[in-house]
Amino acid sequence: MALTITCPICGKRNGYEFKFGGEEKGPRPEEKDLTPEAWCDYVHMNKCVAGVQQEWWFHKDGCGSWFPIYRDTTTNLEQEDQKATNQEGKNDEQV
Amino acid sequence: MFLKKKPMWGKKTKLKSSYDVVIIGGGLHSLATAYFLAKEHGITDIAIIEKNYIGFGGAGRNTAIVRANQRTQYNVPLYKEALDLWPVLTKDLDYNLMFNNCGNLNLMHSEAAMKAARMTIATAQFHGVESHLIDAKEAKELVPALNISEDITFPIHGAMFHPPGGVVRHDAVVWGLARGAAQKGVEIHQQTEALGIGTKNGKVTSVTTSQGVINTKQVLISAGGYSAALIYDMLGIKLPISVLTIQAMVTQPLKPVLDHVVSSGAYHCYANQTLKGEIATGAHMDPWPNYTTLNTAHYIKHQAEALSEFLPCLRGVRFMRIWGGLADMTPDMAPIMEGNNHVEGFFMDCGWGYFGFKSCSAVGKYMAEYMATDNCPDMLKPFALSRYQEHKLMGETAALVNYSPDN
Ligand SMILES: Cc1cc2nc3c(=O)[nH]c(=O)nc-3n(C[C@H](O)[C@H](O)[C@H](O)COP(=O)(O)OP(=O)(O)OC[C@H]3O[C@@H](n4cnc5c(N)ncnc54)[C@H](O)[C@@H]3O)c2cc1C
Repeated sequence: MALTITCPICGKRNGYEFKFGGEEKGPRPEEKDLTPEAWCDYVHMNKCVAGVQQEWWFHKDGCGSWFPIYRDTTTNLEQEDQKATNQEGKNDEQV
Repeated sequence: MFLKKKPMWGKKTKLKSSYDVVIIGGGLHSLATAYFLAKEHGITDIAIIEKNYIGFGGAGRNTAIVRANQRTQYNVPLYKEALDLWPVLTKDLDYNLMFNNCGNLNLMHSEAAMKAARMTIATAQFHGVESHLIDAKEAKELVPALNISEDITFPIHGAMFHPPGGVVRHDAVVWGLARGAAQKGVEIHQQTEALGIGTKNGKVTSVTTSQGVINTKQVLISAGGYSAALIYDMLGIKLPISVLTIQAMVTQPLKPVLDHVVSSGAYHCYANQTLKGEIATGAHMDPWPNYTTLNTAHYIKHQAEALSEFLPCLRGVRFMRIWGGLADMTPDMAPIMEGNNHVEGFFMDCGWGYFGFKSCSAVGKYMAEYMATDNCPDMLKPFALSRYQEHKLMGETAALVNYSPDN
């Protein structure tokens, strides 16, 4: 199903203007004492949630911003209420 | 409808409270693994747990193309064996799998692509797989409908011709393997969803399903595109997988025009003519993870444009059916198969992207050996999950079309 994405600068646009930037995985791990396991986890590993996930997008054919959104991977619809099934301790602190 | 009718593979049985082996997912890899466990290793106390019906997933949605011209020395022998197994399985299962080894023609649209094809062909020939480089004129002789003129978006420079590949009837493989496995005592439980895997002291103890709990010491997840989400959900194991929707379609039936599988990386398009006369073609993926299995107008248009450039006789022909399915893509375009690693008794077979049909025969054989002996067969060793941590990604991305959200 087609996808629209809301860019924080350009507003709601056709999904093909954007590039998917991966699941939200928290901050990049520190270089100091970095293990191959931790790096591999950050670079490659996914949760592949069938439901709402927080994820990054890049507005490649637009303003060039990088930003996170919440999207339901089973419907391709952006979610307003920001409840992701891939967040630890989900919904607690998110407003 | 699932309750009243007798399934074609045998009697419907009641789910027992324990099995030697439980296999989650009723696709090709599950059915093939169960069949070989029963046939080669005498393990018959097996339950295949399928949420919908067998063939609901990629097993019933793929475009049925088989070939053994992959890029790396790890992949080619596995696919070669899979290709060699179709006639054997047809006989052993006593089921016509309709293997049509019409050959695959992979079009090259630049000199760089021709060079890459030379490397792939060298790998194939080294492993005893027939594959040749041919020029545009020879390609035209094989497929007279091809447009080899200069004035198309991606002019054809030549092709990689792989005569032993072709198509196999995918539904027949599902039905044949289901019947073959059931005749040996394997139980297939449709309309039964696996909900969780129970473990104790690092060992598998049970599988919870929508029809009750099953005690077991061995479980395999080979649930096609659903595997990664299930494995994370049930055991907290993350995988280097992105699940995308892959699209396919067929045209109205035509008189015979195409007697090879033709594919083009540059046009992101492949096509073959089915025995019914339809041109079956795919397979675009929107490069963001989703489980929708829906087609996009964007791609239907792209497909029509691409086909009418390199097979111009198809201009004006109508698409008759469109569909989509899931492809679980890994960063190196190669699958993940391993067992007894995170939890004793737990096996996984996933990351098959859009190549899980052509591989299922051989993979079933080797996964069965792995599960029966608890020893990883040499053939499967390179496919362990640990390769990503060790930076030993396979070079399959260098071959053919690579679709992933990473590129
Ligand atoms: C459009 C398309 C074209 C393709 N073309 C080709 C091709 O030409 N050549 C090729 O080699 N490959 C092709 N593929 C890829 C191939 O079809 C897949 O890689 C392969 O079918 C996946 O493995 P499988 O058959 O074992 O699993 P699937 O058939 O995908 O089976 C997974 C099953 O698991 C079930 N399931 C899910 N969750 C649960 C649960 N919780 N409990 C129980 N059961 C569950 C589902 O209902 C499903 O039936 C294509 C795929 C698609 C979608």
